[in-house]
Amino acid sequence: MADRRHYIGQDVLRREDEYLLRGRGRFVDDLPTPTDTVHLGFVMSPYAHARVVSIDASRALAHGGVIAVYTGADIAKLVQPIVAEIEFPGYHRHGRDVIARDKVRFVGEHVAVVVAENAYAAQDGIELVDVEYEPLPVASDLETATQPGAPLVHDAIPNNLIFKGQLTTKDFAAGFARGEHVIRERFRSGRVAGVPMEPRGCLALPDHVGDSIVFYSSTQIPHLVRTALARCLDVAEPRIRVVAPEVGGGFGTKAQIYPEEFVVAALAFDLRRPVKWIQDRREELLTDIHARDHIYDVEISFDSQGIVQGLKLSLWTNAGAYSTLPFGCTLEATGGARMIVGPYRISNYAYETHAVATHTCPSGAYRGVAQPTCFMAIEGLMDRIGRKLGIDPAEIRLRNMVPTKDLPWVNVVGVRYDTGSFVESLERALTAIDYAGFRTRQPADRLVDGKYRGIGICSFTEVSGTGAPGWRARGLVRMPGFDSSIVKVEPTGKVTAYVSHANGGQGHLTTFAQVVADALGADLADVTIIEGDTGATPYGTNTFASRSAVTGGGALIRASTKVKEKMRRIAGHMLEAAPADIVIEGGRAFVVGVPQVGLDFAGIAETAYSMNNFGLPEGDGYGLEATDFYDPPLVTMANAVHIAQVAVDAEDGRVEIERYLVVHDCGRIINPMIVNGQIHGGTAQGIGEALMEEMVYDSEGQLQNATLLDYLLPTAEDVPNFEIDHLESPSIDAEGGFKGVGEGGVIGAVPAIVNAVADALAGLGININRKPLRPAFLSRLMREARASRPAA
Amino acid sequence: MTDTVEVTLKVNGRTATRQVEPRLLLVDFLRHELGLKGAHVGCEQGVCGACTVLIDGRSARSCLHFAVAVQGTEIATVESLGSRDSLHPIQEAFHKAHGLQCGYCTPGFLATTVELLARNPDPDEAEIRRALTNNICRCTGYANIVKAVRAAAAAMRAMPDKAA
Repeated sequence: MADRRHYIGQDVLRREDEYLLRGRGRFVDDLPTPTDTVHLGFVMSPYAHARVVSIDASRALAHGGVIAVYTGADIAKLVQPIVAEIEFPGYHRHGRDVIARDKVRFVGEHVAVVVAENAYAAQDGIELVDVEYEPLPVASDLETATQPGAPLVHDAIPNNLIFKGQLTTKDFAAGFARGEHVIRERFRSGRVAGVPMEPRGCLALPDHVGDSIVFYSSTQIPHLVRTALARCLDVAEPRIRVVAPEVGGGFGTKAQIYPEEFVVAALAFDLRRPVKWIQDRREELLTDIHARDHIYDVEISFDSQGIVQGLKLSLWTNAGAYSTLPFGCTLEATGGARMIVGPYRISNYAYETHAVATHTCPSGAYRGVAQPTCFMAIEGLMDRIGRKLGIDPAEIRLRNMVPTKDLPWVNVVGVRYDTGSFVESLERALTAIDYAGFRTRQPADRLVDGKYRGIGICSFTEVSGTGAPGWRARGLVRMPGFDSSIVKVEPTGKVTAYVSHANGGQGHLTTFAQVVADALGADLADVTIIEGDTGATPYGTNTFASRSAVTGGGALIRASTKVKEKMRRIAGHMLEAAPADIVIEGGRAFVVGVPQVGLDFAGIAETAYSMNNFGLPEGDGYGLEATDFYDPPLVTMANAVHIAQVAVDAEDGRVEIERYLVVHDCGRIINPMIVNGQIHGGTAQGIGEALMEEMVYDSEGQLQNATLLDYLLPTAEDVPNFEIDHLESPSIDAEGGFKGVGEGGVIGAVPAIVNAVADALAGLGININRKPLRPAFLSRLMREARASRPAA
Repeated sequence: MTDTVEVTLKVNGRTATRQVEPRLLLVDFLRHELGLKGAHVGCEQGVCGACTVLIDGRSARSCLHFAVAVQGTEIATVESLGSRDSLHPIQEAFHKAHGLQCGYCTPGFLATTVELLARNPDPDEAEIRRALTNNICRCTGYANIVKAVRAAAAAMRAMPDKAA
């Protein structure tokens, strides 16, 4: 590293790589297991809605290798029902047994668990548990589940409406009426999921006394898992240490607390044996949280210049069968409604938002939450305004954006945008991709060389680093918001920083070390990051919703700053100078202006740990460490622009992405290489979501594509190269100036691609208002469009 | 209990014999009998490629083969790449190009890349992307993996005697 004083902003290569490249990552299934480990297999319901009449485990128990079978009733003695802690007007609270007892409510819900000597025997046992079901009528479809007479998912929730929220700004109707034009549209978003390459799994190791467990889980939120286990198992927290080992991707899918985690932990306490469970892909697709099954019914009013006068939204989200832990089922409903205004000056706004229970897999917080869909709606509307008025859609956006000079800006739902670059990002992106040139070359029918060519824009804000007020605003009464760290300069002068986060591929061991090295003035090589272990790290909210840089970075800066102040006092004492005159950088402390005379960290640590005769400065105690917590503001708002240029094959409907450009502004960048990696990966997920991914349920609530053969993920041939540029508008509200970057890729990609395809097919008069845009769907639309028009 | 059979496999140049169920998958033999945890299980259906190893130099899904059925072949896993002190040029290129994030799929990509570069030491981008469709990555968006493969190819061409 050339500059030993400033690591933030540099492409520091990752510390995580070498052991992963050698195949030595310790993912849950890679951990060594004691020989007496038992393996679990869950019996899943084949029905979406049924009464469990009886369970006969005798054939399973007769099978060699099967040790026991627990039903829902057995597990209920060990684990209390889980209840999402949401307090919100319009929300119906309900509990869930971690293994169903009387009734199952989606295909894949567990009805029993087999305990076996090995994983193969557990699978055998699953096949041999005889469950008698009485099938019941099913409500699997978002559009019909709320209709009168639809089967109820929970008897106590009328019309399956788990949650309804609303807002109407003052004088909304009068403001809306000021627009000369109104466009109405329904945007429909297909259900998708995170699908991390590593399915989930847990390993619980009891200690030798049988009193405590170490609980390994493939989770993004070890601290929240521990709290939930302690509550629902009624076990004191000190008896549970949760460790997130290497985690093979999360994307929010693993920022949930799942029924299996309670069962594995409970059985380890009950059996006093090590208990292991590794999920298979079918279970992953059937039971890990889904997302984005949304309907946006929108009306937008605007004047002849394209300036928005009012926006009205009715949002419907499919919550699935249960409110999940820890976010419940309101996150998508509140998120879509609160974020849709994005970078635009929209002050007349009214929404109604709904979460609907259906007999499908529970929904949860997949990367981007509702932002890919709410921006599909608002960005789709910007294009429609442009088409209606004959004004370029990029120009419509620019006319409606909050200009940088008006920042900080508080949007219509009370979210503050402290800094940003909405206009500058869009202008830079338009120039970089030669948008004007593309428009000049684009023929009216968009047809060039047998392909319809279009361009699509998404300008968006990206919620990151949500603090406690942000969670309260969305009804999550017990979601902390803060993260924390302990920073220690050890007796040898090396630095250990413990942070409440957990790594799932983001490169924390590298980026957090950059933050600490800069904040302390330490040499990067001397800083070690420890995370993902409740036995070592202080409490926090953990790693999801683009939090790490903001909340982890902030907590590390605060704790490091405290330690650095103490080091200044000690160094001043040792060098006979005022602490204010001590400079600490590059791993050394010296008096300002006299860099040749100084102390290294080990020298200062000797005094702090009483290994010499200097004694401590008056008022200071032993040791060289500090703990601090950081709760960011409501949210920390990043922004970006994605522009996709696509070609739609006129015959087979296949969409090719010919260019893809991103201009991103996530405030102060810690590690550009890693930031770009987040954008690449998120954008690829967005491409999958826009063009191929969809969980398809039939009317009986059967998931039609619960394999990776049928649920298509993008491959290297589906994803283009990315052109990425950055603007940096450091946050003035958040510690360190950082803004999150984890979700922007997927948020921007879905609307940009949908809009590009819509633009490509606009010449045919086709209205694109849904995703995914699969070849079969697009070729049908093109066929129908051509058939309904006289040949030219 | 199910009957067991004796299975002898040659893995990374070493021969190992175990008494296992005939239905034991190669990936489980590698991981749980031999402790070679580099190949990961992502889908059990041969789609995702996380379990990819080399059987007689050809990339293969270790989740689709029974251990008993691949006796007599030469199997190579990610653990055979590089030495104690240095990474293989392909591993090094993945590191430098930030071609991995969570790392779960990475051993499979490395196996695919070894096979590709053995067959074609100078692939163009389209050839690289075609070969990489063998594997799914959910983190990186592939751009940096493609970059890593190009860099690895160049590095290996520059030192032909050290090629895998």
